[in-house]
Amino acid sequence: MAANTNSIAPSMPAWADERAIERFLIREVGLLDERRFEDWRDLFTEDGHYWVPLRWGQDSPDGESSLFYDDRKIMATRFERLRHPNIHSQSPAHRTCRIVGNVVIERIDAALGEVHVASNMIMTDYRQRVSRVFSGRVHHLLRRNGDDFKIVLKKVELTNCDDVFELIAVPF
Amino acid sequence: MQYDLGTLRKLVHRDHVHRSVYLDPQLFTLEMARIFGRGWVYVGHDSLVPNPGDFLTTRIGTQPVVLSRHTDGKIHVIYNSCGHRGAIVCNEEKGNAKLFRCCYHGWTFKTNGDLDAVAMPRGYGTSFDPRDPALGMGRLPRVETYRGFVFASLASDGPSLEEHLGFARTSIDELVDRAPDGEIDLSAGVHRYMFRGNWKLQLENSVDMYHVPFSHESSVSRSGRQFDRGTGQQAGSAISDRGSAAQKWEQRSAWGSRSSGHGYAGHQPVAEEENTDPIHRAYVTLLEKRHGKERTREILQPKRHNTAFFPNMTLQALNQHVRVIVPISVDRTEVNVYPIRLKGAPDEMNRQFVRHLNLTHSAASLIQTDDLECFRRCQEGLASQGSDWVWFARGVETDREDERGDYVNNGTVEVQQRAQFAAWIKLMTAEA
Repeated sequence: MAANTNSIAPSMPAWADERAIERFLIREVGLLDERRFEDWRDLFTEDGHYWVPLRWGQDSPDGESSLFYDDRKIMATRFERLRHPNIHSQSPAHRTCRIVGNVVIERIDAALGEVHVASNMIMTDYRQRVSRVFSGRVHHLLRRNGDDFKIVLKKVELTNCDDVFELIAVPF
Repeated sequence: MQYDLGTLRKLVHRDHVHRSVYLDPQLFTLEMARIFGRGWVYVGHDSLVPNPGDFLTTRIGTQPVVLSRHTDGKIHVIYNSCGHRGAIVCNEEKGNAKLFRCCYHGWTFKTNGDLDAVAMPRGYGTSFDPRDPALGMGRLPRVETYRGFVFASLASDGPSLEEHLGFARTSIDELVDRAPDGEIDLSAGVHRYMFRGNWKLQLENSVDMYHVPFSHESSVSRSGRQFDRGTGQQAGSAISDRGSAAQKWEQRSAWGSRSSGHGYAGHQPVAEEENTDPIHRAYVTLLEKRHGKERTREILQPKRHNTAFFPNMTLQALNQHVRVIVPISVDRTEVNVYPIRLKGAPDEMNRQFVRHLNLTHSAASLIQTDDLECFRRCQEGLASQGSDWVWFARGVETDREDERGDYVNNGTVEVQQRAQFAAWIKLMTAEA
């Protein structure tokens, strides 16, 4: 492998390459835009979680309400329902378009093979003459998986986390 | 259109109502005056304002109010409007304050709504009396609490809260008795959502057992059961519009009060298997310590599935929560859903209540989103002139009267909605 001449600190392990992480995040939200929900779920580790808090500054999903707090079992139930032919709230389905940016590697735990990544997201969705815009700061805890990553935790801090929402069907 | 009493009475029949009750802004204005502006309305729960100075902002109908615990520990409901120029005084959703201070000219108010001080008072002449109660934020004349549930009325007289709650009070008892400490706590957050439909659509739906196999079809797996709704359950509810599951559904009790508009749907056939989860066992032991074995068995025997307290609050026992309906306009409604924690129950059990409610009743949930979609479609569809009538005829021939003169029936009937509209027309046509 060619020596990395970018400004990454010498202690940065090669697997935690910023560009590779960014590509992973882009691929991840692409699966959601394409409604490949089962493939998206497969990106999570067995003990992985997807979390969207309802309160600004909420630091735990335990004992406090969240918009989403899904383990892989709940994700499977959620996506089985999204595939149901008579899911009225998704007939027709929301169309979505997501952008990932401002990716920052916040911390690397080389021993565990884990990396904490923060990014910004913007998602628009559209369904039956209603367009919405969601934005937020996204925190990923990724675990090295060969040349790829698995998601241990994806936390989405929506800018309007404590808003009054119309129905939401798919993860951000 | 002008609504005199005769015109109003033509809108509501025993088993059908005119579609304009969902559509006409004039009727909405009348509802805000005659239903939300006179009778008892649920405002909040005392666990949301546990300490002196705690407050939260909400609405009664379309009017902004503050639920506040004064320095003496007493709960007040006050208008969230400055006595000077009318600005919102408490701008936060909740907080704690020694005094409320208006942002505009700095007037301050005590946490019971009384005017505390006027800024730069020497600028006022002798005709200005700061002791005039009209210069305060204004207290609602009647505020009463039942087992932590705070209700208020904008009218200075009328039936007491106890009379208003009537037999529906027992649904609150059933829920609160399940807490080993005899109290519940609503401070674990709130799910908020909005739908483009009339507020009554949510009230009707909360005690509608007929819609479940159809609206929520997508949450039922091929086995005919819903996903499990609690740790220790083998599977979710058996939901079917045919066969033995349907028979079971027709056995559930149904009750609605024509005078108050409250109603409930009886127990849902869920968790037929004994719950052997160790956390649940620990909880049962705690209850037995307080109540003994026999009373504990009685408390845990599920009797009510959903109860609707007319006009704006519902209780659900299955995924236990308090739901508050906030009318915004004739075709726009907000809903606030508070998970219920049982004080004295194992922490892990309460954590699971909160967590399961994310899945069933958040704005991104697997249940509530189907209802929201149906409400919007009702509102749009009712604009059609194809038929002027909305029907609640299911079971009308088999309604019976209980000793209180309320309706009782069984199964997936529409008796609760008939009771809601009986109370609705009574209030809408009542003398001021």
